Order: sequence, then structure tokens, then C-alpha cells
Amino acid sequence: MKYAILGDEDTVLGFEMVGVSGRVVRDADEAQSAFATLLEDKEVGIVIITERVAEMMRATVDRYLFTMSFPLIVEIPDRTGTLPGKPGIREMVNAAIGIRV
Amino acid sequence: MPQLNYAPTKTNLLKLKADLSFAQQGYELLDQKRNILIIELLSLVDQTVDHQSRVERALAEAYKALEEAVFDMGKLKVQYLTGAVNMNTDITVKSRRVMGVSLPVVETVFTERSPYFSPMGTTFWIDSALQSFKEALNLLGKLSELKISVLRLANEVKRTIRKVNALEKIAIPDLRDTLHYIQGRLEENERDMFTLMKMVKRNLDAKRQRARETSRG
Repeated sequence: MKYAILGDEDTVLGFEMVGVSGRVVRDADEAQSAFATLLEDKEVGIVIITERVAEMMRATVDRYLFTMSFPLIVEIPDRTGTLPGKPGIREMVNAAIGIRV
Repeated sequence: MPQLNYAPTKTNLLKLKADLSFAQQGYELLDQKRNILIIELLSLVDQTVDHQSRVERALAEAYKALEEAVFDMGKLKVQYLTGAVNMNTDITVKSRRVMGVSLPVVETVFTERSPYFSPMGTTFWIDSALQSFKEALNLLGKLSELKISVLRLANEVKRTIRKVNALEKIAIPDLRDTLHYIQGRLEENERDMFTLMKMVKRNLDAKRQRARETSRG
């Protein structure tokens, strides 16, 4: 199986350099349709997605993160760095199970 | 005291006793499950945080190198070059199960052949960006595995906690109360019956006595 990337132009360009096929997306509609085409490709095992794009389709991304087995989704910061105000993994876990870690 | 709606009969008493022991068993199992999940989760969280920061560092480096390369050569040329890089990434995604939650396990294999472009006429940053992106990609596989595992485990922990609480705080006390009530009622009935029998016996005795007296007299 292989990786696929959804993101802005620069991110996609970078990952294409190492042989990852990518789709440049600019708005929510493009993100949805690009994601849908990726789902049809059974060879795609992991979808790399920039945080900015992930925000555009949060509901879909969350559904795949929590329940579906394929494809795996991983969010990465784009060229401008991590989105401010995004909860870290530790906070998310704390919120989920209600205990301090 | 909340009680379940059951008629106070012996059959119901037995049934509720069985229910209660089942609920207790379930509670113990779920409690164990919760503990195991939390232990698993905690060990993963540390790894994930560590990996996340490594990925972020690798990516920051990669973006910077790419930017420099684009400055040096222009975006178009860099875009052409991407077609000339002869590299394949192959991932295998397996899954492992922890307490009924399926978690992914990712392995990334790079097959790298020499690129089709020559280092002549390309900037040093291209190479550097390539290396950084490769490293980032390698880490990303592991990160996605960890992150998704953590999210799914956390979800499962949440659900298990809810079940444990429901059993502990509602189902088991309710069953206990109802049992207590039925038991009380049954004992009460027994005492009622006992005194009733006593009275019947006394009446019968009195009757018999009277009959004997009249026949004699």
C-alpha cells in the first residue's frame, strides 16, 4: 500500500519529491471530493493531510480516525507551522477519559 | 430508593439474584478492561507525544529546505524534478487487537533507486529537502499508527468507563434494593402465614374441644 497527501501546494510538492502522490486542495469542496477519490483507491493506506485541510472537513476526518479501519489519517502542520489553539494529543486524551495523564 | 418493578415472589427473587451476580461479574470484567486499556493508553501517549515533536521538527526542516530550493531554482523546475525522483514507499498496515479494539500497525519500506536527475544544475537544497522529507515520511507512518491507536483507545476507555459507572452506580444498587425489598416482603408473608396457621390451629382445637364437651354432656 502507499501514502497519499492532501494539502496546500508547497506541502504536496515536498511530498511528491519523495514519491507520494498528492492532491492540492484549496477549499472544503475540493477537499471532500479529493478525499472521496482517495477512498476509492484501495492502494492508499495512509492519507497525510495538513491540519488546515483537515479543519475543512473535520467531521469526515474524525469519523475515519475513530472508527473506520482504512485508510489511516495523519495530520501534519503545513509550512506555517502548527495551527494555534489546536489541542495536543495529551489534552485530547485527558478530555476523553477525564483523568490527568 | 429506586426499585425495579417486580412482584415479590420467590421466582423473581431467584431471578434477581442471578441477575445481580451477573452484573457483578460484568462489573469486575469491565473494571479490569478499563485498567488494561488505561495502562496501554498511557504508554502510547508518551510515545506519541515524542513522535509528534520529532515529526514536527523533521517537517519544519523539510519545508525550509524546500523553500530554499524553490528560491534557488524556481518552483517549476522543482516540480519537474519531482517526476525524476525514483523512489517508492511501500507500507504494510496490519492490525493488532487490545481488548477488542483493533489498532493499526504500520511498517514503511523505502525502495530507493538513483534519481533520474543529475546533481549538476540542481541546488544542494534539493538533496537536503529530499532527505528531510524522507525522514519525515518515515516517522509519519509510525506517528499515524500511534495517534490513531491513542484516539481509538481513548474512545474505548470512555465507553468502558461509562459502562462501569452505569453498572456500579445504577444497575447494581437497584438490583440490591429490589432484592432487599422482595426478601423483606417474602419474610413478612412467611410470618403472616405462620400466625395465620397458629390461629387456625387454635380455632380448630377450640372447636374440637367444644365438640367433645357437647358429646360428653
